[in-house]
Amino acid sequence: MIRYSLELALHGLRRSPKSTVLAIVTVALGLAASMTTLALLHQLSADPLPGRSQNLYLAWVDTVQAKPDSYESLNDVTHPDFKRIKMADAQALVQEHRAVRQAALAGLDADVSTTEGEHVQKAQSLLGTTSELVPMFGVALRYGRNWSAAEDAARAPVAVIDVDLAQKLFGTGNVVGRSIRLDKTVFRVIGVSTPFAPQPHFFGLDRWAFSDSDLENVFVPYTAALDAGLIPGGSDGCDDKTKRSLFDVDPARCAWLAYWVELDTPQQVADYRTYLDHYAAQQPRLAELAKPAKAQLFGVSEWLAKQNVIPDNARMNVWLAMSFLLLCMANVAGLLTAKFLRRSGEIGIRRALGAPRRVVFMQYVLEATAVSALGGAVALPLTLLGLWIVRLQDQGFTDLARLDPLMFAGLFALSLLVGVLVGVVPAWRASTIEPGLQVKSV
Amino acid sequence: MQIRPILAALRRHRLATLLIAMEVALACAVLCNACFLVVQRWKLIQIHSGVDESALAVLTVNGFDPSQAADVNARMLTGLRSIPGMQSVTVINQVPFGPQAGAAGVSHDPGSFKNTIGVVDFVLGGPGTYEALGLKLVEGRLPQADDYRPATNFAPPDAQVLVSRALADHAWPGESPLGKDFWCDKLHFRVMGVVDHLARAHPHDWGTQATEWTVFTPTLPGGSLAGTYLLRANPHDLPRVLHEARDAVAKIAPHVVLDQENSQTIGDLRADYFKSDRIMIDLLIGVIVTMLGVTALGIVGLASFWVQQRRRQIGIRRAIGATRTDILRYFQTENFLIVTGGIVLGMALAYALNLLLMQHYELPRLPVYYLPIGALVLWGLGQLAVLGPALRAAAVPPVVATRSV
Repeated sequence: MIRYSLELALHGLRRSPKSTVLAIVTVALGLAASMTTLALLHQLSADPLPGRSQNLYLAWVDTVQAKPDSYESLNDVTHPDFKRIKMADAQALVQEHRAVRQAALAGLDADVSTTEGEHVQKAQSLLGTTSELVPMFGVALRYGRNWSAAEDAARAPVAVIDVDLAQKLFGTGNVVGRSIRLDKTVFRVIGVSTPFAPQPHFFGLDRWAFSDSDLENVFVPYTAALDAGLIPGGSDGCDDKTKRSLFDVDPARCAWLAYWVELDTPQQVADYRTYLDHYAAQQPRLAELAKPAKAQLFGVSEWLAKQNVIPDNARMNVWLAMSFLLLCMANVAGLLTAKFLRRSGEIGIRRALGAPRRVVFMQYVLEATAVSALGGAVALPLTLLGLWIVRLQDQGFTDLARLDPLMFAGLFALSLLVGVLVGVVPAWRASTIEPGLQVKSV
Repeated sequence: MQIRPILAALRRHRLATLLIAMEVALACAVLCNACFLVVQRWKLIQIHSGVDESALAVLTVNGFDPSQAADVNARMLTGLRSIPGMQSVTVINQVPFGPQAGAAGVSHDPGSFKNTIGVVDFVLGGPGTYEALGLKLVEGRLPQADDYRPATNFAPPDAQVLVSRALADHAWPGESPLGKDFWCDKLHFRVMGVVDHLARAHPHDWGTQATEWTVFTPTLPGGSLAGTYLLRANPHDLPRVLHEARDAVAKIAPHVVLDQENSQTIGDLRADYFKSDRIMIDLLIGVIVTMLGVTALGIVGLASFWVQQRRRQIGIRRAIGATRTDILRYFQTENFLIVTGGIVLGMALAYALNLLLMQHYELPRLPVYYLPIGALVLWGLGQLAVLGPALRAAAVPPVVATRSV
């Protein structure tokens, strides 16, 4: 029966090719617009570290000895707050080691060169951090080893660099044991990693959120980086007493380190929250400033949502594309209604010969679904074209515009859904045709 | 034209009528909001920088020690000035649409953030920079030679400065800004004049009210004020002059590094700065055009169907005396009625969509005048779309009425 309906449906489609093509193209345009924007949104809201991010948390304690109001909202623009903490707190928290793993980190900039200076990579992004970052974030080491807590404490000038940088500087991947210069200071390379560029750049949103070109390709102990004269690029507030020039960050008195921890069970999360609250409450100087003790813990997805990393444009485009799809659907429903009602005579005869309404209805829903499925097939190259255009825009995040298998399946499902939705009303209208009236006029 | 028979006929085609009306309503809603977004962005990128953009370029070098600043400045100024066609070369810290160098919070009181004015951009410029920028003084006096003093922290102490009119109106509303004092932490500034316009480096980063909150601070080059140079040339010569200047850097100061990205004409910097807005505008216009096209095609499709379905009725009407114009008018009026229904619904939808967008994005309310404009466009579109089928209907000969009843 289905087969017969399908045959009739295809026959119906062939009968007025002009309106069929128009309907297919309209559906394809709507589907392609929606899928282009949805695919981008899907990529932008992807998990930065699949399998790990659900156990990672950003921990924050407010110990900045200053009135909280100073910079928060000037010119009606909220000053971004990346919830970084002061170095003393980072040291204390790492020392007490209450989470499964923990690391303090901050993005830094330096020119990286070979010791003799014959190969220079200007203005590279570095990650100043502590020893547990590499295992915690799952940075894959290709050669050598990661540094130890002891080397952190000893402020050892050691570095883990990525294999691309190793290639650029030395022309080979395995450069363990060689030395590089960060600005002027020599660091010994003890490990070579694969490039580490999670999207979004969840652990350093102060630097960038999405980028196809930026990534931290050198990991060093932040203590050694400070010794090398590298200065943190920004902070979330400084103590009142800071003797600083206006734009520099005083590493000892400013909150410039993000503190990430790994907590594997809900119990550990709850315990860590309690621990942080307790830690914040213990800070004696805060009481004098009449500042309430504040501590917070953010999961990765919660943190990304709070920082609103998905560009407004990407979301807005989805709204627009969806409205457009709706419009296309209304249009196709109209076209199909006209198409089906043209065959009123035929429907009348089928009904008179004993076809139940259900069967007529089914046939026309099938026909609509066939239109939409064909539209989906046309939409696939259009979507790829759309994504290519998006990638051309070169806005950092736009490079992520790709169609993954999930979104491909999404396109397929959406086109079928659209077909059924679009077909129901015209098919119902067709199935309510009174056989008597039609047969008389034939 | 009698409307009643048209309505009676439409009642027999409720579904198709409803679908066209729906389509028009959706088109109206999306059209109004998309146009509104386009106009918003357009206004955003039309910002008045206040400087002679077509005659100015910026050249940035880095990679030298602060101790070499004076030497680099001297070499660069002399070397670049010798390029033929160069009208002036002066030292500046930032230009509109270039990298932001000096944004800082300022207040009415020293050393506190209580009585704040806001975050402003400090544009530091050496002698000649004011003239090269082409700023327009509207009040007060121009910087004199002795106003240019070396910066100690990041600006000269007790500097006499020019503020933009936008900043003056914001900081001292209803008062003359001349001689007024303000502080950046403990640094003191006094207003000596007001310029008409001067955009900050990143006009959109600090809120729509604050695009021109700028302070022009006369400063002697040296120290941190080094490495960024404002080039002025005849607009026709500018691309060539900039090109030669970029090439000349290696000879003038071999130890510095040219910052390629930030050595461009102000016009190019502006285009780069607004690139994503421009793409968004193009995209929205694309959506609008496609949408109108799809809507028109939908109307054509259904109208053609109706004409075909009613051939006999048309023939009968023609046979009993209706003129071709009558038939044409019939379909035009019918379309007008359906589109009007769609527009009424569409206006409500447009406002709903606008409210939704307002909730999620910083977007003002849709101005009321968009609705009549949107209505006119859709009426026009409907009439255009129906014209073809209606003419075909008008061409139906009366003899059809006599055939095969």
